Amino acid sequence: MFKLSELVRWLGLTEFEILVNLCGMLTFTIILALKISGTYSNSVIDWFTAFSPLFCIDIFNAYFCVIVGIRMYLDSDNKRKALHRVMWSTYFLVLISIFKYLLCLKLSGQTGLEYSEVFSPIFVLLQLVAIRACQIPNS
Amino acid sequence: MTLAHRALFTWFIVLVFLILLCLRLDPRTHWSWFVTFIPLWVFDGILIIYVVIKIIRKWRNLKRLKELLIYYQWYICGVLLKIASQLMICLRLEYPQWEISIFVTMIPIWILLSASIVYVFGRLNKIESW
Repeated sequence: MFKLSELVRWLGLTEFEILVNLCGMLTFTIILALKISGTYSNSVIDWFTAFSPLFCIDIFNAYFCVIVGIRMYLDSDNKRKALHRVMWSTYFLVLISIFKYLLCLKLSGQTGLEYSEVFSPIFVLLQLVAIRACQIPNS
Repeated sequence: MTLAHRALFTWFIVLVFLILLCLRLDPRTHWSWFVTFIPLWVFDGILIIYVVIKIIRKWRNLKRLKELLIYYQWYICGVLLKIASQLMICLRLEYPQWEISIFVTMIPIWILLSASIVYVFGRLNKIESW
């Protein structure tokens, strides 16, 4: 339904960030399968270990976004555009990271939050994504 | 449909799915997992219609079907793997007594993710500056 270039325009992620996210997801699903199958005991792979690839890609993407943001700010005449990009990447990464952290806590049984509360950062992010969808030009 | 319409439609489907997922995970409802996944089944149906319409529109220009299927192989494989992934997850969650191995459940997801990585990597190679 979407071309890669359209996804880039809509979500504000570069192709490289999408690639890193996909690699992280693949690693995460492999570790998740090992955890659920019981191949390793819960003490070897706890939920935070299982989610570690996803936290790693967040850190990696944050580093990438800071570099791109600084370069855009210094090279481009349009400073406002660079600030917009940095702000969007910050919102995206912070909300996703909070969701993953809360999900880890919930699955580990360290918090009494309900799933609707755990998913709240994703709902906030969805509102931002909807606003971005409305801002896409028709051309 | 413009990109904005498609994006908003996808956004709506994801929103409804997440609401249903939250309701199902919290012990408020005991719906079947197949019911929880209804928004994604609807999305899959529309994806299939979208791909079929694309193929038929090109087919009218007297192109051979085999060439068209090869041209749209990424679309077709992607949609089929997405449906297979959802089906396996639903079967695993809904019928734990069947004891479907988690590795069998994950196979379509792994293939889908690997194919996506190859596709995005290929596109990334074509772009000179990212």
